[in-house]
Amino acid sequence: MEQVAFIVWRESVEALLVVGILYSWLHASPEGRRGLPWLWGGVGAGLLLAGALALVLLGVSAWLSDEGQEWFQALMALAACGLVVQMVVWMRVHGRGLKRELESGASEQIGSRHWWGLLALVMIAVAREGSETVVFLYGSVLSSQASGGIGVLALAGLGGFAAALLTFWLLQLGGRIITWRRFFRLTEILLLLLAGALLVSATDRLISLGVLPTLMDPVWDSAGLLGTEDGLGKILADFAGYRAYPALSQLLIWLAYWGIVAWLLRRASDGTVPVSTNRAKATMA
Amino acid sequence: MTRMRIWIALVALAWAGGLAPMAAAGAADLPVYTLTFKADGTFEPARLEVPAGRFKIILVNESTEAVEFESLPLRKEKVLGPGVTSFVVLSLSRPGEYPFFDDFHPQVKGTLVVLPKP
Repeated sequence: MEQVAFIVWRESVEALLVVGILYSWLHASPEGRRGLPWLWGGVGAGLLLAGALALVLLGVSAWLSDEGQEWFQALMALAACGLVVQMVVWMRVHGRGLKRELESGASEQIGSRHWWGLLALVMIAVAREGSETVVFLYGSVLSSQASGGIGVLALAGLGGFAAALLTFWLLQLGGRIITWRRFFRLTEILLLLLAGALLVSATDRLISLGVLPTLMDPVWDSAGLLGTEDGLGKILADFAGYRAYPALSQLLIWLAYWGIVAWLLRRASDGTVPVSTNRAKATMA
Repeated sequence: MTRMRIWIALVALAWAGGLAPMAAAGAADLPVYTLTFKADGTFEPARLEVPAGRFKIILVNESTEAVEFESLPLRKEKVLGPGVTSFVVLSLSRPGEYPFFDDFHPQVKGTLVVLPKP
């Protein structure tokens, strides 16, 4: 039964990272707090979408074919990747100018366009992992009804959720223990790594859909050194996009991603031009 | 008979092409294999042997729990609810062993063995 708790926790960690980090960012400033309703709105919308996706995975509903599911997953991952990068770049620009804006009373003018981006990001993050959790729990509930262990199961599910809340709380605590500037940097890197992993997972799906050529497959084979089945390799695969058998096109896209991110962030830090984040998304897709 | 000859010609061509067969294979003529998630929590077969190239694996979940077919080397993850049947299409030109597992029951493991082209 500890497996149920572990999987509920593991499936929610990715969504939690995104929601938890954004929450800390927003909570840190009065201006950002205006975005909190959008954040919770995104969580709610994500849960609804997760439920709808779960019906497809359970075979109850067929509004998405098998290939449709692959496309949908690939596009969700790409969208999430673009939105994370947009959010990080925006926070950097915004975070810098915030104090001045507040003093000059110009802070009212921050458009709602960014809040919609925030909502979409949170929704996708929650839906991606949430749908699998729903299917997993549904299956566990079904089989436990046969064996009569539903109470234990509920307890295990709650345990997983409690662990998830603890993770969320630790993130909030992190913002208080280390200096805000360092916390901001750390979470920024974490989010960008995660976005890179999402991009790589999208290329995996695009390759299997046959729309992305591999160019050379694989470029190397590091399964003997660092496999992706468990341990460090799995963590790196989930949170940084590491692959033991990468295709050349994946490698190039991953390198291009970091190149673009570095360029966008440098430009944002220079602060000469207001950042056009659409460009980032277009290049990413 | 003529169809047979065309086939032989096609196979020879693909062979000669080396890296080309991935592009050549049409969806209709894919070799099909079946992988079953048994009710007792094992893969059937636990070692699935396939020839290099493009092929289809039908995934059947016979268990009462949800399962997730997952393999990073294969670039696949697929969630199946209890009793659900689905499939994955794979293109593997490199012979070797590719591990896969059930991500919802990580101790349940299997191996896809890609054999060199005959």
